Amino acid sequence: MRNRDWSDVIGGALLIAVGLYFAIQAGAYDLGTLRRMGPGFFPRTLGIFLVGLGLLIAALALLREGELPKPRLRPFVAILGGILAFAVSVEWVGMIPATFLLVGISALAEPAARPLPTLILAVALSTIAVVIFSQGLSIPLPAYRWPF
Amino acid sequence: MEILASLALGFETAFSPMNLLYCFLGVFLGTLIGVLPGIGALATISLLLPVTFHLPATAALVMLAGVYYGAQYGGSTASILLNLPGTPAAAVACLDGYPMAKQGRAGVALFMTTIGSFVGASLGIVALSAFGPKIAEIGLAFGPAEYFSMMLLGLIAASTLSQQSPVKGIAMVVLGLLLGMVGTDVNSGALRFTFGLPGLIDGISLVAIAMGLFGIAEVIASITNLKTGRIAAGSITLRSMIPTRKDLSSSWMPMLRGSGIGSFFGALPGAGASIASFMSYAAEKRVARDPSRFGKGAIEGVVAPETANNAAAQTAFIPTLTLGIPGDATMALMLGALMIHGIIPGPGLVSEHPDLFWGLIASFWIGNVLLVFLNLPLIGIWVRILAIPYRMLYPAILLFVCLGVYSINNSVFDIGVALVFGAVGYVMILLRFEPAPLLLGFILGPLMEEHLRRALLLSRGEVTVFFERPISAGFMTATVLLLGWGILSMIRRRRPAPPA
Repeated sequence: MRNRDWSDVIGGALLIAVGLYFAIQAGAYDLGTLRRMGPGFFPRTLGIFLVGLGLLIAALALLREGELPKPRLRPFVAILGGILAFAVSVEWVGMIPATFLLVGISALAEPAARPLPTLILAVALSTIAVVIFSQGLSIPLPAYRWPF
Repeated sequence: MEILASLALGFETAFSPMNLLYCFLGVFLGTLIGVLPGIGALATISLLLPVTFHLPATAALVMLAGVYYGAQYGGSTASILLNLPGTPAAAVACLDGYPMAKQGRAGVALFMTTIGSFVGASLGIVALSAFGPKIAEIGLAFGPAEYFSMMLLGLIAASTLSQQSPVKGIAMVVLGLLLGMVGTDVNSGALRFTFGLPGLIDGISLVAIAMGLFGIAEVIASITNLKTGRIAAGSITLRSMIPTRKDLSSSWMPMLRGSGIGSFFGALPGAGASIASFMSYAAEKRVARDPSRFGKGAIEGVVAPETANNAAAQTAFIPTLTLGIPGDATMALMLGALMIHGIIPGPGLVSEHPDLFWGLIASFWIGNVLLVFLNLPLIGIWVRILAIPYRMLYPAILLFVCLGVYSINNSVFDIGVALVFGAVGYVMILLRFEPAPLLLGFILGPLMEEHLRRALLLSRGEVTVFFERPISAGFMTATVLLLGWGILSMIRRRRPAPPA
């Protein structure tokens, strides 16, 4: 049982969980009848369907061998962290500082990140962002804002 | 000749300065991102969606379509020079294109793929203009039952034809359908699956979900996987592109076969350009007198699949524009762009918006001519762009993702949604679930529910309506056959095939 295709077992289990959530939550809405369907009918059916498919995927995976993929945490954390920092800061301090945060944090995804090229890139990208998005597409985000 | 009058209207629309400009922008961007491995047409089109809000519908579609078929031209450049496909459909071009480059024949390979791309696209456009309006006429007779069955067929086709595992593909479609349910139910006004978050009342933002799955997740996966390859040929001169007489004589039949195969598979919902290029490579290998030459730089093996994927890129617009059924996830985004502009895609589109339909077709002709010029004399620029390291590119991609998502509703919440789907998308890549069927389901979900409800209301709750009406029954039969074929090939294969 050691080298079963665990990635599909995990995938199947996740699908079962999501399917169960939708199927159960759909019960909170009116199911209606076949002739006059309520808002709960279609999602309840699909949710049950997804649970079935999840079971099938997990069961088939137990019958064959496979390798567990190796997740790479460094780019995952750095990139999502950079986006999160941008989202939190952009309305608060404006576009230029938020872009610096995004570029600076996401650059850490590469082990070989160097400070100077990253800084130049941040300057260039924040200029482009202000010109295209603030000026060109008139998005109501200030280039820079003093938060205090 | 009605079709000539329609085409005249189309060219009138397409030759307006604005549409010409956006056509050029589209194909230029398309070639650029096609050349660059690690960013595809899907990600680019989702990045551009917010920009298209500020454009008229025709200009928006002309540009987005240009990105789509422009990427098919650019895709083979990286395949030939670096042995790295720029787009999924160009993966086959590596097999014989890279060996040709190693033999010093990169110029010839690039020249012949561009010519093949142009031939394929032209024949694809002919098929689109000839069959599109006819199919739309048939579609006008469709009721809700037909629509539901047709969407079901499209979804099943998308998940069984292009997937390694049909079961996983169908699971992704169902997950997408469920995500499409989030938000306010149009019939009852009930709020569904919103977790009490006000940002979800109007549903999950299409741009946020597409950018998360195809922008952010791709960046995370590409950072560690992409190695910058070494360019096989030093410099590509125009002189090195001149093919020999033998190259020409052995290429025109593969081009014709590729166009035919590509046009057919492109028009099928769910098949698309990648399938078309693989099918046509397989066909060339089968008809070749000496199949052993393939994989060692046979020119047929480069020309045929590149012709096929360009033909497919054009005929993919047949079901999208005439029936409102997207063939693949990129086409689904195209439908999203139409809906943003208040145009309901479907059989009525050809008759109600003839300037848009024919203008788009005319812009395909113009765009393909532009692409030949972009790809041959300017090849040196693309080769140099291939040398830009990914670490300079991905922060730019991320910034455009964030600002693009934000700009739709001026909402930070939507960036959060994109972030969540970026994480989900990376997990899906790790577990080998494909995100494209999910997006297809997400876009079709609300439409399918609506048609299902209406069909059953009209039939007084009789489910048999889907099998009694002849056209609907035809779609249902095709769906069952496809499912059967999918299960059969799964049993026969047992082991998952290596990723294509």
